[in-house]
Amino acid sequence: MPAIAENYSLGQPVEIGKIHKALKKLWQEGESAMTRASLINLAIYSEKPGSLERNTQFIVRITENHACRALVIGANRKSKENRVEAWVNAHCHVTRAGSKQICSEQLSFSLEGPCVEFLPSIVFSHLDSDLPLYLWWQDDFPEPMDPQLWTWVDRLVFDSQTWQDFGAQMRLVETAQQEAKQRIVLCDLNWTRLDKVRHAIAQFFDHPASHHHFSEIESLRIDFAPGFKSTALLLLGWLGAQLNWKVNEPARNGSCRFVDANNRKIDIELHEQETGPIGQVTINSSGIQFRVASAQCGDLLEISRSGENETALPQMMPAQSNDPVDLMTQELLRGGPHRVYLRAVNCVRELL
Amino acid sequence: MNRTADQSQANPLREGLSTRAVPQPCSVVIFGATGDLTHRKLLPALYNLAADGELPPAVAVIGFARREKSDEEFRGEMEEAVRKFSRQTVRDEIWKTFSQSIFYHQSDFGDEAGYKSLAERLDKIDKERGTRGNRLFYFAVAPDQFEPILKHLKGVGLNKAREGSWARVIIEKPFGKDLASARELNQVVSNAFSEDQTYRIDHFLGKETAQNILVLRFANAIFEPLWNTRYIDHVQITAAETLGVEGRAGYYEGAGALRDMVQNHLLQLLCLVAMEAPSDLSADSIRDEKLKVVRCLRRMGADEVGSNVVRGQYAEGAINGQPVPGYRSEKNVDPKSMTDTFVALRLNIDNWRWWDVPVYMRVGKRLPKSGTEISIHFKKAPFVLFNKETNEPNVLVIRIQPDEGISLRMQAKMPGTSFRIEPVKMDFHYGTSFGKASPEAYERLLLDAMSGDATLFARRDEVEEAWSFIDVIENAWSATKKAPDLFFYPSGSWGPEEADELLARDGRAWRRL
Repeated sequence: MPAIAENYSLGQPVEIGKIHKALKKLWQEGESAMTRASLINLAIYSEKPGSLERNTQFIVRITENHACRALVIGANRKSKENRVEAWVNAHCHVTRAGSKQICSEQLSFSLEGPCVEFLPSIVFSHLDSDLPLYLWWQDDFPEPMDPQLWTWVDRLVFDSQTWQDFGAQMRLVETAQQEAKQRIVLCDLNWTRLDKVRHAIAQFFDHPASHHHFSEIESLRIDFAPGFKSTALLLLGWLGAQLNWKVNEPARNGSCRFVDANNRKIDIELHEQETGPIGQVTINSSGIQFRVASAQCGDLLEISRSGENETALPQMMPAQSNDPVDLMTQELLRGGPHRVYLRAVNCVRELL
Repeated sequence: MNRTADQSQANPLREGLSTRAVPQPCSVVIFGATGDLTHRKLLPALYNLAADGELPPAVAVIGFARREKSDEEFRGEMEEAVRKFSRQTVRDEIWKTFSQSIFYHQSDFGDEAGYKSLAERLDKIDKERGTRGNRLFYFAVAPDQFEPILKHLKGVGLNKAREGSWARVIIEKPFGKDLASARELNQVVSNAFSEDQTYRIDHFLGKETAQNILVLRFANAIFEPLWNTRYIDHVQITAAETLGVEGRAGYYEGAGALRDMVQNHLLQLLCLVAMEAPSDLSADSIRDEKLKVVRCLRRMGADEVGSNVVRGQYAEGAINGQPVPGYRSEKNVDPKSMTDTFVALRLNIDNWRWWDVPVYMRVGKRLPKSGTEISIHFKKAPFVLFNKETNEPNVLVIRIQPDEGISLRMQAKMPGTSFRIEPVKMDFHYGTSFGKASPEAYERLLLDAMSGDATLFARRDEVEEAWSFIDVIENAWSATKKAPDLFFYPSGSWGPEEADELLARDGRAWRRL
């Protein structure tokens, strides 16, 4: 059963019209030892050279936690040659109980030249029926996008941190969402990147006795790594959207000012530092400092609340890894409609 | 079960982040801190919650026990326990900060001064650690210790929370050994804590699949229309274990399988299977519906117990090829013990939905394999067309443990030119479909108690109603005249033959696990 034994390869080459037959054969061969599992269709699209191999490795890791039918598409729309190649493979891992091999199947496509335009027909004809389709788009969205693509997509995954022009890309994404009549859930991995930090900040204010701080926050400082300014701005947008802040003075030299519903000013400082994507967040309110910082070990957050009459008691919480597979795994785990995301984007749209 | 909306109103930053009630800062005081439950379950559960970032920012754990030891010694013991029993590897960085929130308080349970100093210590911890006067008292002790502990907690005012704070108590089973003792115990508890402060833990309800029963039934449109007497022939619930009494003979001799398993775990599972849809997901709406099921259980007369309940006790035999002794030969067991290690029951739920649908339950030790499963046996299709010769009914199986999942048995045509029908199984395994490990039941239940969500905890009236049903059986067994027999079964068998006859009389058979 060579196709299944070699997990990191694209698998067996197959004619595109015979994929279903090849899949059937694949499972017949491994029937006695494996269980096929699938909860979603996960399509990954990239035009970067070498993406098929890289994304195959991603799929191997993702399927350890999320059984799916994976469709990995590598495209080169600039090629003059018009060529479609396909492969089938399965990625197996042993269950936690250690008794069974659980396998997810992967279909890989290499699209060269004009056939890239036929992406929807290639993807849609190979979906596992009745299961939702997650489309992970790893590049900037081209203009115009094929509206047919959106008719079947349930969740569109992208990473706005890599976008060159946030405004233009966001418009394309929002257009796609409108064309799909708001059915598509937008899943920005740049937003997922903030998951744990948002948890850490939110928990400071769970107790009703802390709620008065919402209207007393005086300043906010966010340290971010080079290239992650959009991540910091999304974090700012989240706080602004949820606490009814609005931009008062646009960003200048890393600082800006927001005002709350009572026209009270909140000073914002954004600092680029050599840290993780979000190195540290400090919120100052009525003599209390709320701090969330990346711990030295890198995969934990150190959180603390300190003030004049308070002893700071640091606590550790898990941090969000910046690895694309970990981000995707977290995104798949979270689900939900992500309504807050668009509110956060709208709050800082002019700064992004 | 789900109070996201309330939470996001309270804390707008929680919107979209949490799909469960958020636990509040608190001090968790564990009575019986040096015991097995604390070592094996409670501290590992608290550590796992901390490691997953689920614990609130300010939580302190205070172990309360008789033995003399310092905070540091207790932390050292707990570290060893957590490293041994935690479901995830212990991270030094996390343990370092988490362990600083662990304290030890030495006192006899009956020593009032120990509670006064506990109150002072908790106040100090509130100030130092921001636990905000919230207290969760966990009784990991035998029920006979409840009264002195509760009396003294009340004596020093720890049963009442200050304004804006809360005080709750978690008690472990057994919640009594009959209705009278359960009422007495509940009275003892309610003298100090009101019902809405009391959380009776049944770890079966913290299991993922038990919670999934409600989702299966009420989030899927296809099952509920069939979930009644018109389509269901009968229901079976089996809780089997290969283990014997192990080191629990002292407790088990006075309890037996009926009290130890049926009164709580199995009746709770039955309630989830048989209840009507609650009006909402609040704790009391769900528990109201569960209570109705127990109330509808047909009470047996003393003379009916023998024909509806089979009790058994394991004799010597073999488990997995290894010889094992009989129950009466176990350490600390009376050689003439009449304790039931196996029970099989035939129950009826007297309401419209379940009229004429018997429920068969069996629970036992030293059975061939371990597993807890609920199976819904649907009525057979008409004996026409394909079903003239073989007519296997559809069976929906909900596997609670191990290998949690759901399967549906149905009929399919065998490939070939003839019309041969064979049963096939559609199988859903949690472990196959979801890579994420389920949290331990205690993790979920501790978080719920910190959040004030009592859905998965038993309410007083549920417990007492269950005992009123069980008492009839226990009383018949202990009667001096005409008491139903205790049947012996070899270890490694599926119980006494009389248990098979219980179903055979109705033209049915136990499902093979």
